[in-house]
Formats: sequence, C-alpha cells, structure tokens
Amino acid sequence: MIKKKFNIPDMTCSNCAMKLESLEDVLEGVKLIEASYHRLQMVVEYDEHILTEEQIIAAVKKKGYTAIPE
Amino acid sequence: MTDNQKPIIDPVILVTLGIALVGISVALVVFQSNSSAADIASDPGNQLMLAFVTGLTTGGLSCLAVQGGLLASSLAYQIEKDLVEKAPSKKRSFQVTAGRPNTALPILLFLTSKLAAYTLLGALLGFLGSYLSLSPITRAMLMILIGVFMVGNALRMFNVHPVFRYFSVEPPKFITRYIRKTAKGTDTFTPLFLGGLTVFIPCGVTQAMMATALGTGSAILGAALMFAFTLGTSPVFFLVAYLTTELGSRLEKFFMRFVAVVLLILGLITFDSGLNLIGSPFSFQNVTRNLFSPETLSATSEDASQISVPEDELLLYVKNFGYFPSTLSAPAGQDLTLNLITNKTYSCARDFVIPGLNYYELLPDSGVVQVSIPAQPKGSKLFFTCSMGMYTGQIVFQ
Repeated sequence: MIKKKFNIPDMTCSNCAMKLESLEDVLEGVKLIEASYHRLQMVVEYDEHILTEEQIIAAVKKKGYTAIPE
Repeated sequence: MTDNQKPIIDPVILVTLGIALVGISVALVVFQSNSSAADIASDPGNQLMLAFVTGLTTGGLSCLAVQGGLLASSLAYQIEKDLVEKAPSKKRSFQVTAGRPNTALPILLFLTSKLAAYTLLGALLGFLGSYLSLSPITRAMLMILIGVFMVGNALRMFNVHPVFRYFSVEPPKFITRYIRKTAKGTDTFTPLFLGGLTVFIPCGVTQAMMATALGTGSAILGAALMFAFTLGTSPVFFLVAYLTTELGSRLEKFFMRFVAVVLLILGLITFDSGLNLIGSPFSFQNVTRNLFSPETLSATSEDASQISVPEDELLLYVKNFGYFPSTLSAPAGQDLTLNLITNKTYSCARDFVIPGLNYYELLPDSGVVQVSIPAQPKGSKLFFTCSMGMYTGQIVFQ
C-alpha cells in the first residue's frame, strides 16, 4: 500500500471533494481517498500492484477534474 | 447523452413544475400589491417572502452546487435500474412513460424530507436565538459576520484568492462518507434519508439564512423562515436536477457566476446594515449622506410647521419608508427631547435604535414617543436607524 498526493486545481466547492472521494467505491485497489477543497488536494492510499497512478489520473479526469501528482 | 437517457426529463413533472412556478408568480404579484417595497424584509410575513424569493433566485442554484450530487446519484441509480428492467425490449425502454413514477417519487421524497429537516433546523436555531436575547448591537455584530461570510463566499466563487476557500465549510469526513455510502440505495427510505442529511452540507446562501433564523430569536419564526427559504429553493433545485445532464460546464459556470454576483450584493447590503446598526459613520448610507449636501432640517419641516415645537425639542417622523427628515439639526451642549411620531407605521422603521445612546424601542404604530437626549458636543453626530439597519438618519449638533 502506498499513499500518493495529487493536486486538483479545478475543484470549485466542497462537493467536488465528495465527488472525488466517491472514487474510493469504484477504483479497485483503493483503500482510502481523502480530498480537500480547502487545499485543492487529494490523498489516495492504494495498492500499487493493483492500481497505477495513471489509472487514478484517468478516473479523476472522468469525474471532470485534473489530477497532478505531487 | 444518449437517446435512451432523454426520457428522464419527465413531461408530467415539468408541467407540474410550470404550474407551481406560475402559482408562485401569482402569489408574488398578489403579495406585492398589498405591500410596499419598503415593507419587504421588515415585517415577519414579508421576511418570509424575502426568504422564499432568496431561495427561489439564488438559494436553489447555490444549494444545487453542494447538494445536487446526492439527489443526482440517487436518481441516476434509479434511472439505471429502470432502464435495466425495461431492457428486454429496446422500444419499450425508450418510451417516455417508462420511468415516470420511479423518477418523480425519489425527487419528491428528497425535497420533502429536505424541507422538513430544514424547518426543524430553523426551529432549533430560532429557539437557541431566543436564549441569546439579541440586543441591537449583538444583532449588528451577527449581521456584519453574516455579511463578511457572504462576501467571502462570493469572492471564493470568483476564485479571487485561495484564502477565500476557507469560507466554504467542509463537513467532517465521516459524515460525507456516510452520506456517500447511503446514496447508493434505491428504496423509498434512501431519498428521504438523503434529503434529511442535506442539513449537514448546507450551501453558503443556506448558511446565511440559518444565521438569520438564529437572529429571529423565535422557534416558530426560525422554522417558518427556513421553511420558506427551502421551499423557494425546491423548484430550481428540481428543475436543474432534471436538466443537469443537459447542462454543459459552461452553463454551469454561468449559473455559479450569477449566484456569486447576487451573493456579493446581498453580503455587502447585510454588512452595511450591520454597520448602520452599530451607528458607524462609515456605512454606505452615512458616508453618502455626508458627501452629498444633506437635507438638514431642524423642527421646521413641512409637517412640523403645523406644530409649535419648543427649542429644546426635535421632531422626527417615522414613516413606512424611513425617517423624515433624515438629518436633524440640533443645538449642541444642551439636553434635548426627541419626539418620534408614528402614524400608521408598520414597517421596521418602528423598531427605532440610537446605537450611540444604546437606545432601542419598538414604537407604537401610531403615536408619539419621547426620547431624552443628553447634551452633545458641537460638531458631533448621533446616528439613528431601524433595528434592521435599513433606514437611517442622523442628528447633527451645531
């Protein structure tokens, strides 16, 4: 399991954080997602053997946001 | 969007919504004909109407930005389920009538539950407010805080500076997680439950309205205020929730800009009213009154000319539209009596406040009330206002 931080510059409200956290339920290999509108960041704890950084970025993009690895 | 998804915009719902909006418009017109513009936002009945209109105009869009996801996710699952159930026949799945009862019910339940939850919240806030026994100064501070909060939120929406993001309240993670998990359900209980849970993720406009409910100091008025506001948000919430998949991000951005502009204006007005209520010379009204040659009158106005007034007395007419004259001239260095004259005055102008003297009185709708004013130094000013900071005036000591 690794923890990775992403900057999400296009979050516009706290609901965006909730939307991003919902990826927790659809992305296989994700243990926890903590998104913050205040910091425009998302921390993902995931199994790197099951999921890749690119897959997370793609999933975030599908939600309408841009994820930039920190 | 595919063709199969288009029937989610249920014509029956839209017609019902249209009827509701027409009904609301008629109610507004009837209501307006019986009240002057100045009365709006003063008497409790008008305050409720103002809350309703605020909900109808800005609250619905603002709430939708925060809470719309809950409703949409619940609906999306429902629609998906309907489509799967109708899947054996492609033609049948395209029928407009197919999803009608299933899509109407969750929205209705969601909004009803939300309405009930916010009404209860309003009652609770009003009840708490009654224990706080808000003095004009406390109310002024609350208004200033609300104003700052609203302006901060507007600036956040305009993305002016990262610091303004902290004006958006982030609910605790355990709450958002719980809400998210519950949003996956599809039974009757789920939309009801989700609607109730929206009290934990109020939008900026709602939070401002919650603060206003606290300021009412009455459980009944607080409940009525939140009921009126939430009811006002419902049609827009309902309509946009239906059309949300049709809206592109550009249109959504336009909506948010519109909300931000309205929020900014309302915030500045609230802030300014708070300044009036603490008797600040820096409120917009007090500054502009002094900038442009003021209508300075002593007790010799048109109305006053019919009444003989001793030298140490002042006359102030308290009318539905404010105080006349708005600037009184008085001799410095001597005790005075201010006569407040009301005649069928029903607006908030009756709630008379002189912040500098810590004087507050609810005047009778018709009659004369005398206020003793201690001697003031030459060149000083004493500001007076209604308890909402809407109507203002000053006494200039010369």
